[in-house]
Amino acid sequence: MASKSSISRLIAGRPRRLLRQASVWSTLSGALWPVQAALVAWVIQDWASGTFGATGWVAATSFAVLGLMRAVADRIAGRRAFAAADQVVADQRKTLLDRESLRTDRAIASADLAALLSEKLALLSPYVSRYRPAMARVMVLPILYLVLTVPLSWAAAVILLAAGPLIPVFMALVGMAAKEASARQMVEIGDMNALLIDRIAALPDIRILDAAEKSRADFAALAEGVRRRTMAVLRVAFLSSTVLELFSAIGVAMVAVYVGFSLLGEITFGAYAAPMTLGEGVFILLLAPEFFQPLRDLAAAWHDKAAAEAVADELEARMTREAAQVLGTGARVERLEGPPTLDLAGVTIMRGGQRHALPDISVGAGESVALRGPSGTGKSTLLELAAGLLRSEAGQVVVAGRPLDDDTADGWRARIAFVPQTVHVPDVTLREFLDPHGQGADIQAALDKARAAAIVAALPEGLETRLGETGAGVSGGEARRLLLARAFLTGADVILADEPTADLDRDTAREIIGALVDIGRAGRTVIVATHDDALCAAMDRVIGMEGAG
Amino acid sequence: MRALWRIFRLLWEADSWAMWRGAALTVVVLIMGAALLGLSGWFITATGLAGIAGIGIAFDVFRPSAGVRFLALGRAGARYGERLLTHDATLRALAALRITLMHRLEHWPIDALRRLRGGTALTRITADVDALDGVVLRLALPVAAALITHVVAFVMLAWLATPAVAAAIALGYLAGGSLILMRVAMRTFAPSTEAETAMQALRQRAIGLFRGQREAILQGLMPSWRDRIDAEESRARAAQDRLDRIDTAAGMALSVLVALVTALVLGLSGGLIASGRIDAAQAAIGVFVALALAETVMPLRRGLAEIGRMRDAAGRVMAPAPQGERPLSAGGKPPATDRAAGLVVSDLDLARPGRAGLLLHGVSFSVAPGEMLALRGASGSGKSTLLDALAGIGPMQGGEVRVLGASLADWPEPALRGRLTLLPQRTALLGGTVLENLQIARPDLSEDAAWEVLRAVALDGVIHGRGGLQARLGEGGAGLSGGESRRLALARALLRRPDILLLDEPTEGLDDPTARRVVAGVRAYLPRAAIVAATHRAAETDGADRQVDLKKYMPKTRFL
Repeated sequence: MASKSSISRLIAGRPRRLLRQASVWSTLSGALWPVQAALVAWVIQDWASGTFGATGWVAATSFAVLGLMRAVADRIAGRRAFAAADQVVADQRKTLLDRESLRTDRAIASADLAALLSEKLALLSPYVSRYRPAMARVMVLPILYLVLTVPLSWAAAVILLAAGPLIPVFMALVGMAAKEASARQMVEIGDMNALLIDRIAALPDIRILDAAEKSRADFAALAEGVRRRTMAVLRVAFLSSTVLELFSAIGVAMVAVYVGFSLLGEITFGAYAAPMTLGEGVFILLLAPEFFQPLRDLAAAWHDKAAAEAVADELEARMTREAAQVLGTGARVERLEGPPTLDLAGVTIMRGGQRHALPDISVGAGESVALRGPSGTGKSTLLELAAGLLRSEAGQVVVAGRPLDDDTADGWRARIAFVPQTVHVPDVTLREFLDPHGQGADIQAALDKARAAAIVAALPEGLETRLGETGAGVSGGEARRLLLARAFLTGADVILADEPTADLDRDTAREIIGALVDIGRAGRTVIVATHDDALCAAMDRVIGMEGAG
Repeated sequence: MRALWRIFRLLWEADSWAMWRGAALTVVVLIMGAALLGLSGWFITATGLAGIAGIGIAFDVFRPSAGVRFLALGRAGARYGERLLTHDATLRALAALRITLMHRLEHWPIDALRRLRGGTALTRITADVDALDGVVLRLALPVAAALITHVVAFVMLAWLATPAVAAAIALGYLAGGSLILMRVAMRTFAPSTEAETAMQALRQRAIGLFRGQREAILQGLMPSWRDRIDAEESRARAAQDRLDRIDTAAGMALSVLVALVTALVLGLSGGLIASGRIDAAQAAIGVFVALALAETVMPLRRGLAEIGRMRDAAGRVMAPAPQGERPLSAGGKPPATDRAAGLVVSDLDLARPGRAGLLLHGVSFSVAPGEMLALRGASGSGKSTLLDALAGIGPMQGGEVRVLGASLADWPEPALRGRLTLLPQRTALLGGTVLENLQIARPDLSEDAAWEVLRAVALDGVIHGRGGLQARLGEGGAGLSGGESRRLALARALLRRPDILLLDEPTEGLDDPTARRVVAGVRAYLPRAAIVAATHRAAETDGADRQVDLKKYMPKTRFL
């Protein structure tokens, strides 16, 4: 039952209160039905005894007014339940975003995480807004209707009890029906969509192989297989819910027949001293279907619960796991004061459950340093530590004469430029990319210094060209030069570059080395991780990383 | 709305016979439900009257009580049949909808299809087809069934009770119900679109934030990126709140309608009984049927509340193909060819899509049958753009390409695909068996031939180890390593037995000895094909007869 607690834990505070109110209103609406039923019974009784006139219209009007009250109560319940669900989803989304946006050790793909944030979290909503109020009604209403039936006819009450309930038995049935139903929903829709996505993702290949028709035919055959398997499951799954309906139908029919026979005087047991009146009979008949209705509502909402439980479990698993956070908050703050220096002393980090020691290094203001060594020796890690993107396990990282921690990290980052091996180009215009804070600096001059002017000149809309996934692509070498241009632009005085010349042709590599040398000459601190001889030669000093790791 | 209507027709016609039967049973269920309550009401009232009159013994209890039992059991049975039939028909319809979608996508330009597979476009398509799944089951069928049920109920009531009561019920429900539901449908359009757009934007921005996390942190942009996500979230929540308000208001209005219609029948009947037009038991039928018919209108609100979303989804699914490069015609007569001519490229100018200025200028080379040419160049130098152009996928800015003696522009696409094959840099496999993946390229492929091609790409050992040709791969070929997937895609291309084979970094991700075996295997498998391989590794250039370095075709203006 771990999953049950995980999902209940998500509903606390305001949503919990709202949900309680929703349940009360919803139950209240159900509790008004016997009054309406009594009005109908009263009118029909009058008809039978030949009394007509104003009372009929009075009762009818009262019936309508009560109907209006119930409708309003249901609406209030619905709105509160929606508000509760909305709040639960929003709270979870916020928690998740807070945590994942500053987390550095994420193993899940960005698209999957975004799917969790958008449509998967939304699956919590029907559980909160439909299932929970239905559950509350099941707890109260059948018992209320039963209690109202007993004084009029214990036999009718017994019929209801026998047909309905053993409520736990019923609930088990409902559970079985719903479990299969939800499994089937996963199977049928999930399979069909997975197949579709698979085929669409492969469409460029399929087109080139001239296999569109074959692919469609294959899909049709696979979909037919899904249909046949699903129908085999459904034939059984629907049986359980049919049993549920059958029980309620038989219950209502038996009550009707029993009441009819009692009224004729053919059955004399089951009522009390006086024979049952027509009004009493109508009243009982009107309560009978409503006795089963909450159970049917709950059954209909059951797969909401299964879906929500899956999401809650995923959330819980995600939340209980340790997460490595970056230093600071990633906000824009005043630059950290002090000379552009970096010192590492006795630093170790944990990676993959193993402790790695990093060499002690000290880089002075304005120095250009190459960290050299084969891949896997911790060069990239060292740069990430220096940018506050990683937390050290032990030892000290000192920047600008101050320890790098949550308080100083954002200020330190305000003065560094980090050039990763794979540059992420966000979905913004080139101008926004180069000048993210809109300082209005001289972009052209910076591009010239970084030898990146030609890249911009080749773009159709120049600085207004949109980059990113949907926009114009820039190659790896181009992106690195653009980042160096940004370093000139923002006045960063510490440049951290990870393998800036890897995978590039010689000319492009030369451009980048030239730009880095220019930056160094301008008095800024440059630290590159590399195994490129030409780049090492261009730096003031080379630190070997062979021994580390 | 036209798109929605077309989707409806498509779904219905996927198996219209099953749909009709399902629809008929839906009506039967609703009518039996109303009849059950109506008969029960009549039965009780009539027995009550008989009891009062003291003629209980003479009352025929057998037929009505049998009727009640029959309706109760029959309704449950009909419901079972209805659910089976409509689900079966819907599953067929789901497949039909997806096949139509695939068919439409096939006419897209390949560069547009390549953009599709990244990121969020595919999830959007899934969301759209999911929304459309409800068109029949939640919208069309319940609406049609409700209308038919009301017609039947009117006729039956007019006959069993009196036309006045029948008319009150029919008019009340039809007029009131359609007014309320039309209003719901109209009012949900704007907020559904808004909610959907905001949710998609939220997802897009969230992906942007997670992918660009470092960028945001390093630039101190995290809070402002978060604010933008929060703004989209508020927009989505506000729209959803509006939708819920409309939906619950409709629910309220429908409940009130049920109460009003019932109250009307209750009030009217008194007078009708007094004037002797009907008796109390007939009047009871009216009251109970009025209550039971609530079941016809209440479920409609859910389908109609979704109509805005369905309309938008239908519009997107039925949208015309996007603009893009399609250098070849879709059909027509193949040109006269000369197999010995191979591939001749002369003075070709190329630009990267969306860029001004040339990427490559004056590219010229030729490849004879049985020859392999290696195109060398660093990443970003335009190798893939060149191969796309040669394969008739990407645009050319100038110059000419002759395939088997005929100008590329004269080739209709299907004919070209039969003679020329490209292994692009990014390939996708399919979920299914290894054999199925190969049969995509050659439907009549025998097992022996499959093993032969797997040997050519040095993959036979791996496939043996995984259980042979019937080994199942996950979605997108999951289960194979990068290098193995690459080789299976290469095998697929070889099975086309093309005269011209274009390979974009075919042995990427393979160690050197394997790469050499693969190159030799490809050449042995297609001894008479003209092969062009874009590459930057020695294993591939060494296996080729000649090399062309693309650097010499780079326009000088690339570096200022």
